[in-house]
Amino acid sequence: MKVLVIEDDADAAAFVRGVLSEAGHFVDVCGDGETGLKQARGGEYDALVVDRMLPGLDGIRLVKGYRDAGGRAPALFLSALGEVDHRVEGLQAGGDDYLTKPYAPSELVARVEALGRRATGDIPTTKLAVGGLEMDLLGRTVHRDGQKIDLQPREFRLLEFLMRHAGQVVTRTMLLEKVWDYHFDPQTNVIDVHVSRLRGKIDKDFDRPLLHTVRGAGYRLEA
Amino acid sequence: MKIGSLPALTRTTTFRLALLHASIFILFSASLLAYLYYETAGQMSRQAEIELNNEFQELSGAYRGGIDRLNQAVTERSEARGKFFYLLLDSNGQKLSGDFDVLPAAAPEGQVVDVQFEYDARTVDGQPSRRTAEGRISRLSQGGVLMVAYDVGQLGEMNRRISDVVWRSAAVGFVLSLIGGVVISRSAAQRAEQLARTTEGVMAGDLTRRAPVHGSGDEFDRLSEQLNAMLGKLERLVISSRSAGDSIAHDLRSPLTRLRNRLEAGLKENAEDEPRVALAKSIDDVDGLLETFNAVLRLSRVQAGATGSFRRTNLKGIVDELAELYQPVCEEKQLTFTYQPEDDLYVMADTHLIAQAMSNLLDNGVKYTPEGGVLRLTAGHAANGDVELSVIDSGPGIPAQDRERVVERFVRLEQSRSEPGSGLGLSLASAVAEAHSGKLVLGDGDRSSGRLGLSAKLILPAA
Repeated sequence: MKVLVIEDDADAAAFVRGVLSEAGHFVDVCGDGETGLKQARGGEYDALVVDRMLPGLDGIRLVKGYRDAGGRAPALFLSALGEVDHRVEGLQAGGDDYLTKPYAPSELVARVEALGRRATGDIPTTKLAVGGLEMDLLGRTVHRDGQKIDLQPREFRLLEFLMRHAGQVVTRTMLLEKVWDYHFDPQTNVIDVHVSRLRGKIDKDFDRPLLHTVRGAGYRLEA
Repeated sequence: MKIGSLPALTRTTTFRLALLHASIFILFSASLLAYLYYETAGQMSRQAEIELNNEFQELSGAYRGGIDRLNQAVTERSEARGKFFYLLLDSNGQKLSGDFDVLPAAAPEGQVVDVQFEYDARTVDGQPSRRTAEGRISRLSQGGVLMVAYDVGQLGEMNRRISDVVWRSAAVGFVLSLIGGVVISRSAAQRAEQLARTTEGVMAGDLTRRAPVHGSGDEFDRLSEQLNAMLGKLERLVISSRSAGDSIAHDLRSPLTRLRNRLEAGLKENAEDEPRVALAKSIDDVDGLLETFNAVLRLSRVQAGATGSFRRTNLKGIVDELAELYQPVCEEKQLTFTYQPEDDLYVMADTHLIAQAMSNLLDNGVKYTPEGGVLRLTAGHAANGDVELSVIDSGPGIPAQDRERVVERFVRLEQSRSEPGSGLGLSLASAVAEAHSGKLVLGDGDRSSGRLGLSAKLILPAA
């Protein structure tokens, strides 16, 4: 993926560049809002990573200006302001995701990659498939190798999210935010238990596991 | 008074209100006096005018019988010594009859003219006096001039007196209304001044200053109450951020020191841990620190009331979701999880905050209840209609004497020090309850296992 990072703090920018490059992405860095907006509009980027507080043009106005000018690359806000209203403000301005500083490197990579996928897979689909696992979004049914799997509504949404991001690492925080709409981290391993239940349903009777645990990061659904 | 202070005076509310008061007063009294004048002096002038018209009408009736008939009528009237004076001239300007010898004013160019003139008369005791008369001079159709006039001395005197009274009372009224205006507006201005002094005091750093409330419930009282409420909130905010700073300093110092020691130990030649292991542990320490830091900030914001968007919400949906989220982890830990919700749990709430508070309570329940225990989540109404959300466990519980203390920041009881967590869970739940004008109540929990158990109940006013 080709990612534009707009971040005025040189250390933070170098950190983001390092993390994303290591994950195999091409990264451009820009230090202020005005030039960032110009560069975003000029270059063909798969995703933007925008600091909320920038000198000159702040992140919110930057993304708004970019969207108004027809820019379509998904944008991820980085911000020290993590309250729900800040988040809502960011998403209303045209951002696609919001990550509160400080964050784990794996969280950043997972979210940027999830954004890239969204940009390319915007066409509404009615069926998802990973390996022998098939999900019918209209009929709300799941089959693996032709065998029907019964899921609770929440398990269905959890699996849907994992399948939409097949091959990518999905963090616990992402699952909490996107599947449960909670913006805090419970102190107990509630997510792990839900994922392991789901795993019991889709992997237990099959030779090859699809749902993998990525140590220190989260989960990945992969054939 | 210095000249330079004049513009300042004109800017004061007192001055403006007084001026407004005076202007309105003058407008009213001017209309009143104008009406009075119209009805008295004006009425007299109009009456004289009507009589003059009648006189002319009668004389012109006589003139229809010829100039001699008119002459006769004028002579009769003149001799009758009525209210009017007369003079009739022939076409050559010679006097035919009347009270004057010559026209006291110029004869009209056209047909008729109204005139005012002065003439010499003698008073009853023979003194000469100059008097004013008003009248009308008319040219006759067959040559000649007729004048009818009346003495305005009496009428004029009356008019003058009335207008004197009108002007004098206008002047007195203006002064009185200015004084009245000042008196009225002074009291308003004084209240405003009190408010200004309060805010000055607050700006100077005295956050305990409050505006006086007189108890009359007027606009100024309402303004004072609003201002006081605002100041109260401001004071809480300042105190809260101050104490957040204190807590951060106090409670982050020891983990930071531990981190520093660990890093230093990792640098040594014969370190106990591999450097990579030491680094990994350090990252865990830093993550813990950040978590605590975030929890402190969030708690401060909730306590300061600086967060949240409150909407009337049925909390059942939120608790349903939490039950669904926590049930698997309870089963994993072999806790008997039960959830008994009532419906229509309407509260003015920030759903994110409520969810987080309940999540904290559920986390505690799951963490502290030993395997095989009981965890009950309930959502219902109190007898007075308040909404109650509670988490009841069969864990070790909290002794009654410690219950108040554990809600304070960072307080963790000895037996729980080994568990992960920031020690802010109950504080946050309590702060969230307070932000919703409710409270967190701790009590005995499920004692079926012989332990004290804990019941943590959020009580929120129904909406």
